[in-house]
Amino acid sequence: MRLILTALATLLSHYKRHPGQLAMLLLGLWVAGALWSGVQAINASARDSYARAEALFTTGLDRLERRDGEPLEREDFVTLRRAGLPVSPLIEGRVVASTGERLTVVGIDPLTLPGDSAFATAGSGGELTAFFTPPWQTRVAPDTAPRLGLERQAAPGAEPVLADGRQLPPLAIAPSLPPDTLVVDIAVAARLLERGSALSRLVTAPDALETPPKGYRLSRAESLVDPGELTESFHLNLTAMALLALIVGLFIVQAALGLALEQRLGLLRTLRALGVPGRTLVALLALELALLGVIGALAGITSGVWLARVLLPDVAATLQSLYGAAVGTQLRLPWHYWLGGLGVTLGGLFVAGSGMLWRAARLGVLGLGQAQAWRAGFQRQLRGQVLAGTLAAAVALAVWSWLATRPAGEGLVAGFVLIAALMLACALWLSPLLAAGLAGLGGLARHHPLTQWALADLQLQLPRLSLAMMALLIALSANLGVGSMVGGFRLTFLDWLDQRLTADLYLRPPAEQFDAVQAWLEERDEVAALLPTANAETTLLEVRAGGDGRRLEVPVSLFGITPGARLTPTWPLLATRAGRDAAWTALEEGDAFINEQLALGQGIGPGDRLVLSAPGGRQPVTVAAVYPDYGNPRGEVLFASATLRERFAAAPGSLGIVLAASAPSGEHETEARSTALSQALTERFALDSQALIDQREVKALSTEIFERTFAITRALNALTLAVAALALLASLLAQARERRRRLAPLWALGVTRARLANIQLGQLGGAALVTGLAAIPLGIAITACLVAVINVAAFGWRLPLHVFPGEMALTLATALGVALLAAILPVLKLWRTPPRTLLAEEEAT
Amino acid sequence: MRHWLSRPRAALLATGLAIGLASGLTGCEGESSPTPSQGFAGLGAGAEGFRQAAPGTPLRFPEDHGPHPDYRIEWWYLTANLEDATGEPLGVQWTLFRQAQLPPAERPETPGPWAASQLWMAHMAVSHGETHRVAERFARSGSLASDRERDQAGVTAWPFRAWLDDWVLASQVSESGRDALDRLTLSARAGAEGSRFGYRLALDAEGPLVRHGRNGFSQKAADGQGSIYVSQPFYRVSGEVTLDGRSRQVTGHAWLDREWSSQLLGPDQSGWDWFSLHLADGHKLMAFRLRGGGDRGGDFLSGSWITPDGKVTPLDDDALDLTPLATSAVAGRELPTRWRLRIPEQDLDLVVEAPNANRWMATTVNYWEGEVIALDRDSGDTLGEGYLEMTGY
Repeated sequence: MRLILTALATLLSHYKRHPGQLAMLLLGLWVAGALWSGVQAINASARDSYARAEALFTTGLDRLERRDGEPLEREDFVTLRRAGLPVSPLIEGRVVASTGERLTVVGIDPLTLPGDSAFATAGSGGELTAFFTPPWQTRVAPDTAPRLGLERQAAPGAEPVLADGRQLPPLAIAPSLPPDTLVVDIAVAARLLERGSALSRLVTAPDALETPPKGYRLSRAESLVDPGELTESFHLNLTAMALLALIVGLFIVQAALGLALEQRLGLLRTLRALGVPGRTLVALLALELALLGVIGALAGITSGVWLARVLLPDVAATLQSLYGAAVGTQLRLPWHYWLGGLGVTLGGLFVAGSGMLWRAARLGVLGLGQAQAWRAGFQRQLRGQVLAGTLAAAVALAVWSWLATRPAGEGLVAGFVLIAALMLACALWLSPLLAAGLAGLGGLARHHPLTQWALADLQLQLPRLSLAMMALLIALSANLGVGSMVGGFRLTFLDWLDQRLTADLYLRPPAEQFDAVQAWLEERDEVAALLPTANAETTLLEVRAGGDGRRLEVPVSLFGITPGARLTPTWPLLATRAGRDAAWTALEEGDAFINEQLALGQGIGPGDRLVLSAPGGRQPVTVAAVYPDYGNPRGEVLFASATLRERFAAAPGSLGIVLAASAPSGEHETEARSTALSQALTERFALDSQALIDQREVKALSTEIFERTFAITRALNALTLAVAALALLASLLAQARERRRRLAPLWALGVTRARLANIQLGQLGGAALVTGLAAIPLGIAITACLVAVINVAAFGWRLPLHVFPGEMALTLATALGVALLAAILPVLKLWRTPPRTLLAEEEAT
Repeated sequence: MRHWLSRPRAALLATGLAIGLASGLTGCEGESSPTPSQGFAGLGAGAEGFRQAAPGTPLRFPEDHGPHPDYRIEWWYLTANLEDATGEPLGVQWTLFRQAQLPPAERPETPGPWAASQLWMAHMAVSHGETHRVAERFARSGSLASDRERDQAGVTAWPFRAWLDDWVLASQVSESGRDALDRLTLSARAGAEGSRFGYRLALDAEGPLVRHGRNGFSQKAADGQGSIYVSQPFYRVSGEVTLDGRSRQVTGHAWLDREWSSQLLGPDQSGWDWFSLHLADGHKLMAFRLRGGGDRGGDFLSGSWITPDGKVTPLDDDALDLTPLATSAVAGRELPTRWRLRIPEQDLDLVVEAPNANRWMATTVNYWEGEVIALDRDSGDTLGEGYLEMTGY
């Protein structure tokens, strides 16, 4: 036992002499663990939010709507109940808290709500009577309290006031409720939302009704949109990014471990010679790994949680705007999160350390660590890498050919596999490429001995540098790939916004005032045109292409626009049946357009016929065109507003107002006139200030949402790149001392220190440049995969492939910058080291 | 259930609505729950602001068949002892409970459409041999009389109709001069396809409405509190009962209780045992024992001896003797399912027993309610049949 302890202390003493290596090891573990567990914390929190939302009512219960499109009333509820149908009324709406946050209000009737739905159990252990008797109760999750301007501790029993001055019933905390949701008795909801006796919907236990009652339409729980499913792709994206960071971090760890082993070979041999069994040594090294791993993983998880806390508000905003899924901005982590984080970090560490353990196990007691012998080993390793790289490339090719045969929009996971295989192939080929390049250059530089020496020396360094270079390649190419995708998307999106937002003002009057407001506006001189929209929800029942019909049951939203001179020239279309003009004419005559998501998701093209469920029965329509619809997670069918209101009894949506162009209509003047118009409108119809929005505001809002959507992607990307830079820096610093020793003979031969320094910078800069150059095509390939496979599968839209030379230059500059930064510290040290010391170091070997 | 007491019933209603809704609001059937019915005792407070039942309260019909929203609690309680064409006995229960959530003075002047000033709870049960199927439902209503007919649950006095969802007890009497409860139809059903149970019954009264206690005021404790308690015990029934998806034609007797009050069970009363018996010679007998609340902390006993033509003789502690003889294990409890019931003045000495002990009502508020037969204690001859309800065990 003492022997073992002594041996362990001896092994660990290495890090006392080389604290830099210990720091590098822990750093690698820490950053890898932090990014991974940060993203997992975000995912876990978001999933918790979805689970709470799903458990509530939206997806668990079947729902009934009137076939005639009229809103449901209390009378519908009573009539159906008295006919023996187990329906329950629900009112849903939004209120604005005094903090300005918009919160969802759900009003239920607990007396009739199906008993196994989550509300019944949602923290209602106590007095249900208090829930439906004055002064009533407001049930909220603890993370909703801050949205109401309350401290969590102060929340129970508080009666917060809303922005409109109404007071909520006393709060009761129910942790299983989704975030930003207030659950109240239906009587309270009707009062808060001024609904009178109108209902949002009637719900019933899943499959409680075999057929809908006459005059009603039944939507099954499973056909309703499930936020968990929709957002799955988003979380998969995040996870892939985190995995990338984890791998890059583990590269650092492996480099550090390899170095630590290398430098301890002598020590290990001594220990063996002193009688420590080989197996014990390996076990001790494993123990050392475990110790370091636990420290690193704990530090990583702690930082990860902090990172998640910083990023979560952005992610929540993104998910809300992209998918309409409410996600709490407070972390809620299940117990398995902590174990999982520890497990993944430790598992990764042992994978990274397995090579070291393997080598230690096969260590010959008498063998000497010769550089040349090592080099021979490296040659074997290079051949192995070429083979493995080729294998990875073959996998990439196979996945790609498989994807090519699949319909667009499938193969999200395959897309990630393709990218991973591509990256792996390139990373594995990088060292052989560098080695071959060096060998080739060595031949050319025959008459330049110093250059030749520099190339040979670089070859010698390559084994230790190669892992750091691979990490750099992966980080650079991922950065370039994702950066180009986001940049391309941004261009496309802004363009698309410009094309779609054609009116100057957008007005959203209450449904009952819609017609009056429209009539009033039509009379105004300053209004050149009105573009009313309409919305409805329905089910796509059938698709007929050519002679074939496919039966479906897909929920789709219906959107109505007003085609006119102001809108049709710019509204983007991706595909038409017979040209743009014909498509617009067809739309006015009653045909439909569909969005790209629906087209890709269901394999529908222009000319196909759809059968939609409508109040009057089945409604067949012809698809005249496909349009891009970024930022919308759902399938959508577009009609002319008039068609939609007539055939689907759709509710009016917003009113686009095009102002008349008066002579030199400067921006200033337009603004003044829109202000005047909005004042007149507000006075005449008592509209609230939210009802009227300026086109620029819409654009600003959309752009902001877009930026937030990719803020997290960019943040993760930058962090990954930083980790790779650290990896390179760390491996260079770790061998700085040894490198100086090799420079000593050169200096002794009369090479000036300035030249020596330049050689060093040249060596590393060259290697980094090659890595950076290799990253460019790889980055473009990744962008192509992202836009052609992953975006289509994850979001349902395809983007044009944009290539940004600026991004590429930046990639190269980053590679060079990182390498030079990493080289400059050793060079400075070399500059300051007295020649005597250099020679002394050389002699010491 | 019925009968008993106002307070007990009230307790039942109050706890039912307060506790149980959280777990499963619809159609509980079958399995019994081991939860102790803590609600049957200790609910003496909370009647302030409501009208109190008092001796001398005048009764007017048909108005008093309808709800009394200013009293806290009220019920329409029907039990029936039936048999099918082969003589197999069946039991049926249907009850509509009402509870006011706010005293009259505190009710909003303009309640919204979803006001819950009155809560309604309905129970139904069908039993046959070892089978006992139970369901319950809930609803809310405002206190406004004007649109009562458009509520999910309610009661109207004329034409008489008591309903919750599609469970309906309705009068078929249209001519004035007859009591609204003389001819009724009752229909209710529950359960999924295949395990459906329910009934459609026609009830014809063969005697008058009877008033218990002092002209309808039924005392419930030695300190004088009580309820207004009226019954129609003379129904002859025919119709159809469905059990496990199988329907059969039935005939038999039924007993309807009407009771309203504002007081809950006293703090020293833990529950009650209540009997309603149809004797073969045409007499009817109602008797109950409140456990606690009597003189010197004893039990409080009361009852009514009803002649075939509807004359009522109130029975007090001295005139009535109720003694448990044997218990059965039901739903994790020990309940007295065999009793001795003695009315010395009528020279009546009965053994009342439940042929099937598993009549536990596993509803939000749980209790025992089931068919009993009455035997002559000396000869062992069957003298009648009826229902027994036991709460607070």
